Amino acid sequence: MSLYQIGRICMKLAGRDAGKKGVIIEIIDNQFVILDGATRRKKVNVKHLEPMEQIVKIKDKASHQEVKSVLEKVGIIVTDKKSKKPAQRQFPVRKSKKTVMVKEGKTKKPVVKKATVKKAEAKETSLEQNLDSKAEKIE
Amino acid sequence: MPRGMLKSRRLRRVFVKAPGGNTKLQYKERKPSKAVCAHCKKVLAGVPYATSAEMRNMPKTAKRPQRPYGGVLCSTCMRKVLQEKARSEK
Repeated sequence: MSLYQIGRICMKLAGRDAGKKGVIIEIIDNQFVILDGATRRKKVNVKHLEPMEQIVKIKDKASHQEVKSVLEKVGIIVTDKKSKKPAQRQFPVRKSKKTVMVKEGKTKKPVVKKATVKKAEAKETSLEQNLDSKAEKIE
Repeated sequence: MPRGMLKSRRLRRVFVKAPGGNTKLQYKERKPSKAVCAHCKKVLAGVPYATSAEMRNMPKTAKRPQRPYGGVLCSTCMRKVLQEKARSEK
């Protein structure tokens, strides 16, 4: 039996998945295997793999979800990247200095005014209430 | 007589043959040295050697290969490092 059997945990040495771990799911021939896990699910040359000690019980041609659940028990974290649809993307809108200044001015002033108005209103209402209560008492 | 800014050696001097047969002096900007592997000192592939102004406008993906130690180690040295790391783990 070769070293690269189904369920063998390997580290990838080449390419952008280098340094990530995965499991062998399928053996194509004595040169190529299919790897899945923290790496992308891909056909891989055996020369680009470093076999590790662990062997995991896994089905032949297991699905990505199965691989994920098995690997998380061993302690290998599998993160899935979700590609966003172009409509979902939200690009930050740059604010030029002028617009920012105008906005700040606009927002700050009414807040102050509102507070004062509210206070004045509150005073008036309280005064009215007092007057009413006094009037009632008098009656 | 060259201008003052051309008298300092900030710019590289290149002699160019003009069509009339006489040589002419051109001043060109110096380029930085090529990026080199930190371990074996081999020239790195996939890392441009451009002036800092050109590098600033380049996207990140064009500046170094997309793998661990990309732009620092060459691929063979990176593989050795990762192999050792894998073998030391149990």
